[in-house]
Order: sequence, then C-alpha cells, then structure tokens
Amino acid sequence: MSFLSQLIPGFGIAKGMTLTLKRFFAPKATIKYPEERADTAVRFRGRLQLLWDENGLLKCETCFQCAQACPIECIDMGGLDTKGRFHVHWGAPETYGERREESALRRSGRVVPDPAFEPFAAAELVEVDEILARHDHDPAEMLAILEEVQAAYGHLPVAALKRISETTGAWYAMLYGTASYYRHLRFEPPAAEDQAASIAARRPTEAGYLASLEASLAGGSAATTPGRRRRSDA
Amino acid sequence: MTTLLRTPSTWPAILLARRDEADPTDLAAAVRAGAFGGLTRAVRELGPAATIGLIEEAKLRGRGGGGHLAAEKWRVAARTPAKARYVVANGYGADPGSTTDRALLETDPYAVIEGAAIAAFAIGAEEVHVAVRATATDAIGRLEAAIVASLEAGFIGDDALESGRRVEVLVRPVQGAYLLGEETVLLKALESKRGQPEQRPPHPATRGLHDQPTVVHNVQTLAAVPYVLRHGAAAFRAIGDAEAPGTILVEVRGPDGAGVAEVPLGTPLRDVIALVGAPARGRKVKAVVVGGPAGGILPPAKLDTPYAFEALRAVGAHVGSGSVIVADDRACIVDLARVLTRFCADEACGKTIPCRIGLRRIAEIGERLTARTSRAGDLGLLVDLSADVVGSALCDHERLATLPLMSGLRYFRAEVDAHLERGECPAGVCRPIARPAAAVPGRSRPTSRQSRAQA
Repeated sequence: MSFLSQLIPGFGIAKGMTLTLKRFFAPKATIKYPEERADTAVRFRGRLQLLWDENGLLKCETCFQCAQACPIECIDMGGLDTKGRFHVHWGAPETYGERREESALRRSGRVVPDPAFEPFAAAELVEVDEILARHDHDPAEMLAILEEVQAAYGHLPVAALKRISETTGAWYAMLYGTASYYRHLRFEPPAAEDQAASIAARRPTEAGYLASLEASLAGGSAATTPGRRRRSDA
Repeated sequence: MTTLLRTPSTWPAILLARRDEADPTDLAAAVRAGAFGGLTRAVRELGPAATIGLIEEAKLRGRGGGGHLAAEKWRVAARTPAKARYVVANGYGADPGSTTDRALLETDPYAVIEGAAIAAFAIGAEEVHVAVRATATDAIGRLEAAIVASLEAGFIGDDALESGRRVEVLVRPVQGAYLLGEETVLLKALESKRGQPEQRPPHPATRGLHDQPTVVHNVQTLAAVPYVLRHGAAAFRAIGDAEAPGTILVEVRGPDGAGVAEVPLGTPLRDVIALVGAPARGRKVKAVVVGGPAGGILPPAKLDTPYAFEALRAVGAHVGSGSVIVADDRACIVDLARVLTRFCADEACGKTIPCRIGLRRIAEIGERLTARTSRAGDLGLLVDLSADVVGSALCDHERLATLPLMSGLRYFRAEVDAHLERGECPAGVCRPIARPAAAVPGRSRPTSRQSRAQA
C-alpha cells in the first residue's frame, strides 16, 4: 500500500476524504437537546450531586437512605445524622482515601470537629467474634449482636461494625443505618466526654421532652434548642 | 411502678379487674378469678372460626389508637395461605408521657398472655411476640414469671391445653425510638432491622413479621379478648360506646397528679379529666391535650366529647397513646403546641421527605411564633404544609403530628394571633415575649414594646 501511495499523487488526500465523506453521510449522533431527548437506560440516574439550600447549607441530612438503597455500596457519607449524632464513615482507604483530606470535607460543607480526622482506633475484636459465634453470624439477630457489642466495649467501635458486616454478610450501610437509628446504641466511647456532651446537647431525649412539657404546662417554657436560656421565674 | 387512679364504682373493670391482687403473677389466684377460662372455651368448645365470629360479634376494636376491628385482622390472617403465622402484642408504650401498656402488663400479665394465646389459636399461629419497653423491668419480670407459670400449667407450650397445638409466648424487649409504637416499625425492630414504616397494603395481617401473616394488637386489645370469651359478646357490647364497646386505659395528667385509669369508651372527656381532681383554687382548665405528643389540643367547650375513636377524630384529636393532659391557665397554647410538635419532628424516622423535612419546618413555624420571629405568611404556610404532610403521609405519625399546631390554630386562634400580630403572649410564657417587666423583678431590661405598653 505504501508503494501505491508513493506512485499515485494525491492518494493520501483521497483516502482522507473518503473517510470524511463516509462520516458526512452517516446517521448523525447529535440531537437537538432539549427539544429532542435521547433514550436512556431504565436504571440511569445521572451524576450524583448534592444540592444546597438558599442559606448555603447542604440539603442532605445524612439519613443514609441512598446508601442503603445503593446495590453496590458506592454511596457513603459523613457528618450529622438526622438524630443530631455525629459520625463519619470513611469506607475502605483505597476507595475513599481522597475524602480523608480536610479540604474534601470543607468542599462537602460539613463542620467537622478535629477528632474526626483521626483514623478510627483499631479495637481488639476477640469479644466481637465470640458474640458473633454465639449468634451464629445471623443478620436476623443484628440488634442483639449490636447491643452485646456495646455492652462489651461501651460503644460500637467502627472496627467491630466492619467485622460484623464482613462475617454476617449484612451491608455496612444497612448495619450503620440500623445502629444509628436506635437511640440506645452509640458510636462514641464514653471517655470522649467533650464529644459525647455536645452530642447529648443536640440529641432529643424522652426526659427532655417530658421536662419541656412539664415546664410548658406550668407556664414557664424550658429551653429545647441549644443556646436558649432556661426561664427561671415561677 | 405505675400509679393507678381510682375510678367511680359504677365504671366496669375489665383490664384492671385484678388491680388489688397482692401478687399479679400468682397463677392459682388468677385462675380462681377466671383466667384461662376464655382460652379453654375457645379451644374445647368454639374452635377457631367460631372464636373469630364471637370477637366480631363483640365489635372489639384495636386499642392501639387506630380503632380497627380486631376480628377483621384475625380473619384475613387466618385466611392467607402461609408457612407460619404470628401474633405480636404491642406493649411498647411509645409515648413517654403514657404508661398505660406498662400498667396493664404489671397488673394483669395473664390477661395479655391468654388473649394472645386465643388469637394465636384462632388464626393458627404458633408464636406470640410480646414487645415490651426494655426499661420497664417490672413489667418484663412479671410477664416472664407469668409465662413460666402458664407453661408449667400447660395453658401454653408445645401442647397447649392438650389441643395438639403449639403456642409459644416470647417476651421481646425493644427500645431506642418513639416510632416503635407503629405496627410496621415494631415488626422491623423485631426482625432486627432499622425501624421504618412500610407502605400499606399489604397490611401485616397478610404480610407482617418475616413476611408471614401477622396479627399486631396493642396489649389492651388482647387483654379484652378473654373477657369476651368468658362473658359473651352481648355482655361486652353492653359496656361503653355502641360503636366501640369495652374499656380503655387512659393516662390522665393534671397539674396536681397523674395516673392510669380504666375508662369505658364513650365516657365524656369531662369525666375523664375529673379523675385527677379539679384544678387548684383560682385556676381553671384551659385546654386538654388528647392523644399524646401528636394529639389534638381541645378547648373546655369540647369537654363533653365522648372519649371514643370517631368522636375524638371529629373534633381534631384522637385516642392515640391513651394520654390525656390537662393544661390550666398558666400554660400558653402556642408554646405547648411547639413542645409537642418539636418532639414529633425530632422523632421522625427519616423515611419520607414530607415527614422528615416537613415536620421540621412546621416545628420551626411554632418556634418562630413563640420567639416573635414569625415571617409574613407563616400561618398560611403552616396550613398548606400540614395539608401536604398529611396528604403524602406513609404512616400515622406524620398524619397526626400536625395536629397540635393545627388544633391550636383551630380552637385558640385569638391566642395565636396575639403572638403573631401583636407579639404578645397572653399567658406570659413565651420568650422574648414576656410578662410586663414589673411583674418579674430583677429580669433583663424591658423591650421597647413592653415599655410602650406600660407607659
């Protein structure tokens, strides 16, 4: 072929123009969006994007609904959950390593206290394994497993949650969703008093509700939101 | 331990009939009083179909707040083909201000066990799960003792009453969320899952616990079943309201006391609140909150409303958790509605957006009213938002959580307007809308508005 192209002048141009003409008459892929819409796959959901409200705050409430629904567990999040409890889950380092950076957190709009940047402490998991063995690694007994782990460690260490997820086959997001839903389960070690106190101040409690109700009935309202003073008159 | 209130001697006692028993777990004493007579009749005389028929004839309705006919649930569960069936007794008592379920479990655990066993026998279930609040240790202890005694006596177990049928009763302590009082949420918790409600239909009667037909009842409903079996449907129908016969437990909370009382359905609210006595001298009843945190706030003019499912719904309240709270004239209705709505918003499970975000916005409107930071159009927004939340609700929590503010708006419009338009709190409760500074010495400088008012 190279011999022929050298013999015939303009062969290269003709070759190039052949391709051009072929493309010229081929059916066009471009459509007049938005008048015309391309057919998309039924399960196409577009790019994941978090929305912001008019005050510049993220509308995402860290409810873990999407993480629980995601079949391949690619959605993950951190911050305050709907109960006002703080927790960040980073996932596997190779997947979420980038998000450990402080700038990534700032981009996500979260105000995150410093302890969050510390990697989660490794925990001795012998007791977790014993508890799992007692329950036959059955995800149907998850609440009992979580309660016993909390009784053993004082809280639910992330390392323990991961071990439970791996050995029972329950998705981590599902497990996290369950553990964060029930108020008696906690992720903070009791020793982390500062963090525990700030969480307790934000977390609504039954006792807090009853106190507010009593106060309201007696004609003096109790502070229910942070930063409000308690009324002290009779 | 819970406090039981004394009721007039003319009021019948079904649920708390054994309140004066020294030891509620004494099986011999319970049997002398008639316990397990109903189960014996169902098993040896009637059979499943006739038992359901008798419950239908008695018009027994669910005491969990919804007021659904019990027999309907039983029939559907019995008819649905399944590998297994379950009976779930809801004794969680979600409302922190109501201890009715706990009081029943402490007073008469055998009635609950017997009622659940009858239901299990009628629908063909082998397992009964009794959900109890994990912190109610007295109730759990008595229930467990009663189950062991019934098991040893052969009333329940592998061959219950020699019928060849297995009826196993399990105590399931649950805790950690207000919404566990909702039936589908409770079923999720019993399956060790995150507690969020499910779309209905399918109702639990066709697909409930472990996807099998499940009859979910409040413990009070089940405790009334043995009475119907022992005394007949006509005797039960003679008690209480014609449309909702029988009695119900009510936790009445007044300024000077609180306690649980057994009240015949259809009793006027006035008689119910009289159980905790009249307000202190110089005070008068200003409002009654009926139905718990998501209850309606009713004015004194509505005190003649019968305490029954439909009658309460008609005036903007509901039976709910069985809680009746009396507020005297020290209370500010707007502040009261704010406290209730805030609790409901905080306790939303987060599954549906109207509930998760809508209730929060509604609670904020209430907070703005009490803090005098209301925006133009707040009341219109409240009404619209409430209609949207109710219209798109998945469970009763969000349907009812709008009630405190909406009923407050309906019956105490003048007080709401005083907050909104004049920035005043007639009861002198809300901040920074306070009483005139002269009345409260030593407090912070009066606002310019208060100074003008005094001038």
